[in-house]
This record gives sequence, C-alpha cells and structure tokens, in this order.
Amino acid sequence: MMRVEVLFFGKLVDIAGASLQMNNVRSTDELLEQLRLQYPALAAEKFMIAVDKKTISTNTSLTENCTVALLPPFSGG
Amino acid sequence: MDAAAKTNGVMEHKPKNIFTQGAIAATFIADSIAKHSSKTNIGGHSIFLGQVRADVINEKKVAAIEYTAYEELALKKMHVIREETFAKYDLTCMHVHHSLGTVPAGEICLFVFTSSAHRRAAIDACNEVVERIKTELPIWGKELFEDETHQWKVNQ
Repeated sequence: MMRVEVLFFGKLVDIAGASLQMNNVRSTDELLEQLRLQYPALAAEKFMIAVDKKTISTNTSLTENCTVALLPPFSGG
Repeated sequence: MDAAAKTNGVMEHKPKNIFTQGAIAATFIADSIAKHSSKTNIGGHSIFLGQVRADVINEKKVAAIEYTAYEELALKKMHVIREETFAKYDLTCMHVHHSLGTVPAGEICLFVFTSSAHRRAAIDACNEVVERIKTELPIWGKELFEDETHQWKVNQ
C-alpha cells in the first residue's frame, strides 16, 4: 500500500487542516480528484502543487512516502 | 564571508535561515547595521523594512498578522534568489529576515539589507529581492482582527 503525505498551507488549512495521509494515489491528478471529493470547498481555490519540494505544472506520478504540498497564492512580507 | 567568497570568485553561499519568531526588533536592525562598520569596502547600504499595517476592512481593524511558511521550500527558494542576486549585482553582502508567527500592527515583519561599494547595486538588489520575496517565497499572512476573526492576506 502506497502512502503519501499531503500538506496544506495558508487559506487551505481552514478547509482541510494542516496535513493528512492518503493511500494508493498514484498521481497528482488522482490525489486532487480524491481531495475534491473529500473537501468540495477546494474546488473554488487557486493553488500550486509541490511534490517533494519541487513545484510541478503537469500531472506527476507519486512514489511511496512522497510529500505533496498545496500552495495557495503567497502573501509574505 | 560573503565578501571573501566574492573576491575569490566563488559564488557559494550556504543556505541561511531567514525566519525569526515574532516581530523583528529595532535593536536587532540597529545591531545589524553596526556590524558592518568593519567592512570598509562598503560605500552604500540599502534597507527595506516591512511593517504590519492596521488596515480597516469592513469596519474591522487588523490587530496583527500571523505568518506561516512552507519553511523548507522557502529556504530552498531564498537560497536560489540569494545566488542569483549575487550573480547579477556587485554586492558586498545581503541579509534577509522574515517573521513567522504573530506580528502586531506597527511592528516589523520583513528586513532586507544589501550593501555594495557603490549605491546603485545595493538599491537595485534590495528592491528586486523584496519583490521576489513577496512573489516567490511560500509564506502566508493571516490578518487577525481585533474581534478575533481573520482573513487571509492577499499581496498587491
């Protein structure tokens, strides 16, 4: 069974909490599909995705114990 | 160390932690300026200080901003910004500090400090680094109102 850690930041923490674990998701598209079912409010949010601290722009396959982070628009400074 | 690396033509700077818990104290900023008196090849400093504004939104006043970050990714990205800035501008040194956690209105949350032999490099690098911090670092500000409600900050 493949486990993936998902981290949420900024506004997304209000929707889904700070982190969760998901099992048997093989790609970022699959992961997003499941997350949107679990947290319908995510559909209205803009965010970038980072897999193991690298931001991605296309569907990416996931590996055992990898970390996927959902990053809404930054507002530092 | 930055100056030594520069004169050797080696553009390597170790990743530094930029995060400070809570507000950045004025005394810390003053000390940081004072430390540069021994670097007599410097002719100009440029400093940017970000301060938490008590915005009024729908008749509610912002009391503080609570900052969170994806720290590992932020430090990785800041390292790239630092390297690119040293490659682009003739800087003697550069220091960046950003708050995490709660910073009350009126307090400092961002401190960017660049130094160079001549003013132009320090000024231009400082401006560019501030812009890049705001757009490229995974940091989020949550505006806390006086009535304990909140909204997520949006950068302009």
